[in-house]
Amino acid sequence: MTTPGNRGALEGVRVVDTSTTVAGAWCSRLLAGLGADVIVVEPPEGHPIRHLAPFAEDGTSAPAAYLLADKRSVQLDATGEQGLAAVRRLAAGADIVVSSSTPSALEARRLRFADLEAPGLVMVHVTPHGMTGPLAEVPGNDLTVAARSGWASINGMDGRDPLKPAAWQSSYCAGVMAAGSAVAALRYRDAHGVGQEVDVAETEVMTGTFAPALLRSQYEGRLPARPKEMNITEGPVPVADGYFALTLSRAHFWRDAMNLLELPDLAEDPRWESSAYRREHHAEYTERVQERMTHWNKMDLFDELAIRRVVAGPVLSMSELLENVHLRERGFWVRPLEDPTAPEFAGAPFKLSATPFSLRTTAPEVGEHTDSIANVEVDA
Amino acid sequence: MTPPEMSGPLTGVRGIVLTQAWAGNWCTSLLGQMGADVIQVEVRKRIDIWRGSYDAPIPSQVRGKKPLQQPWNMGAGYNSICLNKRCITLDLGTDEGMTIFKRLVPFADFVAENFSPRVMGNFGIGYEQLKEIKPDIILASLSGYGHDGPWANVPAIGGTIEPTAGQSALLGYAGDQPLNSGQMFPDPIAAMYGVLGIAAALRHRDRTGEGQYVDLSMQEANASIIGDAAMEYVLTGRQRPRMGNRHTTFAPHGIFPAAGEGQWVALACETEAQWRALSDLAGRGWAADARFTTLEDRKRHEDDLEAAISEWSRETSREELVAMLLGAGVIAAPVHDAFEVARDEQMLDRGFLRAVDHPQTGEWTQATLPVHFSATPAEHFRPAPCQGEHTAEVLEELLGLSSDEVDALVAAGISGEGPPA
Repeated sequence: MTTPGNRGALEGVRVVDTSTTVAGAWCSRLLAGLGADVIVVEPPEGHPIRHLAPFAEDGTSAPAAYLLADKRSVQLDATGEQGLAAVRRLAAGADIVVSSSTPSALEARRLRFADLEAPGLVMVHVTPHGMTGPLAEVPGNDLTVAARSGWASINGMDGRDPLKPAAWQSSYCAGVMAAGSAVAALRYRDAHGVGQEVDVAETEVMTGTFAPALLRSQYEGRLPARPKEMNITEGPVPVADGYFALTLSRAHFWRDAMNLLELPDLAEDPRWESSAYRREHHAEYTERVQERMTHWNKMDLFDELAIRRVVAGPVLSMSELLENVHLRERGFWVRPLEDPTAPEFAGAPFKLSATPFSLRTTAPEVGEHTDSIANVEVDA
Repeated sequence: MTPPEMSGPLTGVRGIVLTQAWAGNWCTSLLGQMGADVIQVEVRKRIDIWRGSYDAPIPSQVRGKKPLQQPWNMGAGYNSICLNKRCITLDLGTDEGMTIFKRLVPFADFVAENFSPRVMGNFGIGYEQLKEIKPDIILASLSGYGHDGPWANVPAIGGTIEPTAGQSALLGYAGDQPLNSGQMFPDPIAAMYGVLGIAAALRHRDRTGEGQYVDLSMQEANASIIGDAAMEYVLTGRQRPRMGNRHTTFAPHGIFPAAGEGQWVALACETEAQWRALSDLAGRGWAADARFTTLEDRKRHEDDLEAAISEWSRETSREELVAMLLGAGVIAAPVHDAFEVARDEQMLDRGFLRAVDHPQTGEWTQATLPVHFSATPAEHFRPAPCQGEHTAEVLEELLGLSSDEVDALVAAGISGEGPPA
């Protein structure tokens, strides 16, 4: 079997993705980017992500276009024994299997790790609550993960509903953690010949990202509050052409930013050098500072602050990110190697000097590779 | 002195790391929890900002829990994200400190750092120079904007990457202004990607003997996890609006008030069966309401739908709501605050949350490794190191330094602990 252009860190690795979630799909997509041959198993009606909005005019799901890219698709009806047997065969022949099924679902379909009788296999489970414990069978999604993990409790505004991260970021986070763990387990397998199960709970991953607030609350005996109003101590505030985050955490950030904003009395008063003092007395300056900021365009303010080495963040839209000179020069936006006329994709999450992350193909049609993979299975 | 016990798939791997703050510290801690021996090199003159400061106040619930309490070892930030690391101090601004660092490098499989891009080169320990010391070394750099390109030297933190990676534009209530998350969310995302990058580089090295340089830009790492919104823009020309807790496809999908102050429940229906079950539970005839009959109807009348659900949900306690919703097959969860998370039965049962005893702050419930390996389980969890706690141990174990030689380094201020003289 040949997979052209496959020279990554996971060259020669076959991944079979039986998952039905964004977390599982992102895990296998990252493994594909590192050079693995990823086969996604789809039911006749297509992967559930293909049915997620938003859609392009031709009916293409944007999440599916992004998440299923760089994979080959096998269509299998796994509701019957014949289809299930094929899934088992495919999975048993893989180096890594990605699954999002609960323990009972795997048992019912005889798709448990033990059922596959492949001792060198790395089987990655990415589920909302994990494969053990009282919630193992309880369904969840990106929303409930944000809720149970603690993440939502500190996000959004006081008095309004706590917020989850936008889009599917909790799921992507779990996918990243699952991919890293899978590679660690694969490396162990290569050295010792021992495969294993890797159990990643999406809620635990998000509680991992909540770890500082979790410990700080216990140390201090009180909970962090969500902000009552938006000001520069909390997040983005309006400027002439949009919004801008000015996180004035160090004394020189404060001094240089206040001078740039033509507020010399704030810049020079030594009381304001302390970030603790500034937080406590923010009502005394936020209105003045924010009024001055409205006279600036966001990129002009960003450029001037960058020269002064003050951390600052203009809120960028997708069109601005697509045009961003820095991301352009870094080569972040990419078209698939084998389909250079395809739309641009958000590219590598990091650069590897010896084994670059790559994007080879756009998302397959449902079952596009069913025949060729079936033939390979026979040959093997 | 004996080195700590290790377990997990990365047992036998060693990192000598110059990481700091959240992204780099948590990245290397995760690797340590997977079994790697992670040796943190800290410079006393520039205390890790996540330790706080040398004169930080000691948090109220921690005060007096242990006989020795030093402010720089009491930071919740640092202690929450630095499990399973050893910490040595070296003044890298001195020839002798740098010499010792370079003598440690041959013992490392990987080096990781998250300074701004100029620093490693200025220190004379950029990738090319590290490669001269150890040809198959892996160097991972986690920076705001990566190590090349016009913004390479623009300073950044999580709170400014969130806007420049496109996340802030998506976060917020419908029709309202963009927000940042209540924490520096881009940092832990960069940390987890760092784990993947280093693990992949280790595999390549094992197979080929070739090391490599991992250049991680927090902006790119974070933009990648909203790549579906970028794809939406590319395919349709539309910027995805801020939509609170709503879903692009399903409704209802949100966080609703329960009875009592500050009590919230997350609730979603992804199938028609779940919607009918919710409607039956509420008993208010929603499924028969023309505004809510089909998914399309519910999406069109989502404001009305959410108002109706809120009116119903706020009459019942959060626990009752969650139990009844899950019982009926509806996707639901309580919104837990930090204290409730610390008591979460599921995560305690799985050993993800566990009591970790720190020598200066005492025992607290901490988040550990969010991964469970069946054949190579992570079994040893050590608290975040105190500053310089392992200097003598590591220098003796790896370099064979005598205690007199270590004492001399401390006396010269090259190593040691606490505020520099």
